[in-house]
Amino acid sequence: MRISPSARLLAAEKGIDLASIRGTGPNGRIVRADIEGAPSVVPPSSVAQPSVAIAVPAASHSGDRVKASPLAKRIATEKGIDLTLVTGTGPNGRIVKEDVEAFSGAGRSPAPSTAMDPGLRREAPAADSRPSTGSGLTVDGGNIPHEVVKLSNMRKTIARRLTESKQQVPHIYLTVDVRLDALLKLRGELNASLEPRGIKLSVNDMLIKALGLALIQVPKCNVSFAGDNMLQYSRADISVAVSVPTGLITPIVTDAANKSLSKISTEIAELAARAKEGKLQPHEYQGGTASISNMGMMGIKQFEAVINPPQAMIMAIGAGEKRPYIVDDALAIATVMSATGSFDHRAIDGADGAQLMKVFKELVEKPLGLVA
Amino acid sequence: MSDYDLIVLGSGPGGYVAAIRAAQLGLKVAIVERENLGGICLNWGCIPTKALLRSAEIYHYMQHAGDYGLTAANISADIDAVVKRSRGVAKQLNQGVTHLMKKNKITVHMGDGKLTAANTLTVTKDGKTDELTAKNIILATGARARDLPFAPADGKRIWTYRHAMVPPEMPKKLLVIGSGAIGIEFASFYNDMGAEVTVVEMLDRIVPVEDADVSTFLEKALKKQGMTIMTGAGVEELKATATGVSAKIKGKDGKVVESEFTHCIVAIGIVPNTENIGLDALGVEMDRGFLKTDPMCRTNVPGLWAIGDITAPPWLAHKASHEGVIAAEAIAGGHPHAMDPKNIPGCTYCHPQVASVGLTEAKAKEAGYDVKVGNFPFLGNGKAIALGAAEGFIKTVFDSKTGELLGAHMVGAEVTELIQGYTIGKTAELVEADFMHTVFPHPTLSEMMHESVLGAYGKMIHM
Repeated sequence: MRISPSARLLAAEKGIDLASIRGTGPNGRIVRADIEGAPSVVPPSSVAQPSVAIAVPAASHSGDRVKASPLAKRIATEKGIDLTLVTGTGPNGRIVKEDVEAFSGAGRSPAPSTAMDPGLRREAPAADSRPSTGSGLTVDGGNIPHEVVKLSNMRKTIARRLTESKQQVPHIYLTVDVRLDALLKLRGELNASLEPRGIKLSVNDMLIKALGLALIQVPKCNVSFAGDNMLQYSRADISVAVSVPTGLITPIVTDAANKSLSKISTEIAELAARAKEGKLQPHEYQGGTASISNMGMMGIKQFEAVINPPQAMIMAIGAGEKRPYIVDDALAIATVMSATGSFDHRAIDGADGAQLMKVFKELVEKPLGLVA
Repeated sequence: MSDYDLIVLGSGPGGYVAAIRAAQLGLKVAIVERENLGGICLNWGCIPTKALLRSAEIYHYMQHAGDYGLTAANISADIDAVVKRSRGVAKQLNQGVTHLMKKNKITVHMGDGKLTAANTLTVTKDGKTDELTAKNIILATGARARDLPFAPADGKRIWTYRHAMVPPEMPKKLLVIGSGAIGIEFASFYNDMGAEVTVVEMLDRIVPVEDADVSTFLEKALKKQGMTIMTGAGVEELKATATGVSAKIKGKDGKVVESEFTHCIVAIGIVPNTENIGLDALGVEMDRGFLKTDPMCRTNVPGLWAIGDITAPPWLAHKASHEGVIAAEAIAGGHPHAMDPKNIPGCTYCHPQVASVGLTEAKAKEAGYDVKVGNFPFLGNGKAIALGAAEGFIKTVFDSKTGELLGAHMVGAEVTELIQGYTIGKTAELVEADFMHTVFPHPTLSEMMHESVLGAYGKMIHM
């Protein structure tokens, strides 16, 4: 988004969501007059509230204010870099060319005249005195040795959205234990036959598909709560939580229910790789009808994830581990994982959530359904 | 317990600005100066030369009064009166700095300062030595003219800028060695004042840090004013005689010619004032004779900072002042923004003037940029013609890929007052569309800045 510094300040003052403004300046740049002409109705804190702002899932993300120089914006556009992921080091946290180039990692440095150590060229900017994530917190750290780390735009977004979620969305958590032996066996067989194509399915790829199918089978859980309305999705787009150096991003597997496992696998590998380079396009991580977060690889037995509004559910996957397990009334050893669904209780009743968990469990335990 | 939060050694445009900023931020500040508050800049450099050049400019206009439909008879220049005015200007500004120190409650210690430890400084004046301690010390001792090794300046026939500012007599035939900003300004001044001036430059063009187009244009303009310019030439021998100086100059063709001059100005660069201030004992890290600093102006010794001409180039007053602010704010616990050397403008007050910021066209290409270049001549500007100053041009260099303004280069009347426009644009990282969309007032010289940008993108109107 191209915007002049004075327009940005005025928009912040008037609490105007910049995403709603059409720029009339050069190259569509938003100028002061565009803001002056805009109705000032919403206080800034409510701009991203799902209940008023949601027409399309997660559209609120594009409303984040990004302070960047015209040059930084142009380079970001050209390189396909999302400026909300870039930390600005200019005045008041403004993103400058150097930040974008440092972020892309491909920055050439045509500055022959400097004798300074390039690693030291810029220091952390002064703390932004204006409210950022709306938390209004003051923490001074006291006598404990510490350094002040400036929040990236991504961290600010995460902080704001998760706070909103926990404050506004009544969560209900439903946990099931799911036996994985059949799925692991099938994965082995599939991977053996997929090897010539250079595809290796992960357990997570299969769980993404299972969640997609489960949401289609239990449509009451594939929804968004939107104030007076509820959006009932007929396609399951699964946001997959991927940890990146600057935080967390959720690339989306669209229509997961109707995609083959091999397609999901290659897609997610490609999305995750680009996510780590910060090169996802906004439409690749904004949206989604439900999320999946897998911390199994880190040995987490079970956890409850925070819903990513306006989505209404997220599936938290724990580690698959060998456990004593009752099979046919006899104690046996089985590979089992715990899966916990978090549901927006405004939109989803406990019974419907339980139904989704049941279907998900069945799909994983009888996994042929995932390939059929 | 330290005497001060901060001591600044040297009160030039770096030092006194650092002291004021630190005092504004609530620090207890002292400044140590061995000679004049305000340093070289406003006592012996930037400011008094501008006063001299103003006299030369008016003299020039008076000689060309007829061009403007005016008559001026019996015109003459009194070099002593011109110098007296220049000294008066310097004195006024020196008093201004004295007042600013007082206003900001900065203690002034006159004398020679020397570090005895990272946070201790002795000040010696008339054989009496005081010891001062501070939590932080900023070194801002500046630089002086570099002498020719075989012919050190004597102040009588062989001058540095400092002697040239208060000449014992008006030179008749002047040799200027070096064509950087200082050399060219004095060459221009004495040429306008009526001296016969020869400039000798070792490199293949004058004002060699500027864009090659500027060098070419300026050389032509100065030659037209009667100056002799020798590029690719070197002075092999220089001897002061009773009546003047005798110089053996090796020309571009390799031939050595011996010529006589009445006076010579040596302007071949600067030497940082790093001696006798106690640096060696502290193990302060140096780089090619200058103090090595980080972007916040810290040296490698904790509590010891350095700004201005004793640090990395460019060696310009405004760079020193900006560093002074950065260092003061960092010392006071702030997080100032580092300075980008690419955004520091440079000005040369010869006639016509030269001003620039950023990369030259050649340097931009060397750095791998695919460039778009705009060039608008003064001849196409109404105001320039009305002023009777239709010589010069404004050149802009853009990165064709991103629209970044890589550099701007100007030669012509008053361009030193114009360059800030491009500097603001560069600092704010504006792209070509922003400059194009800006409304420039008519009739002004600044309209050429607009046209030059338009020209880089094939949209020039008035040419």
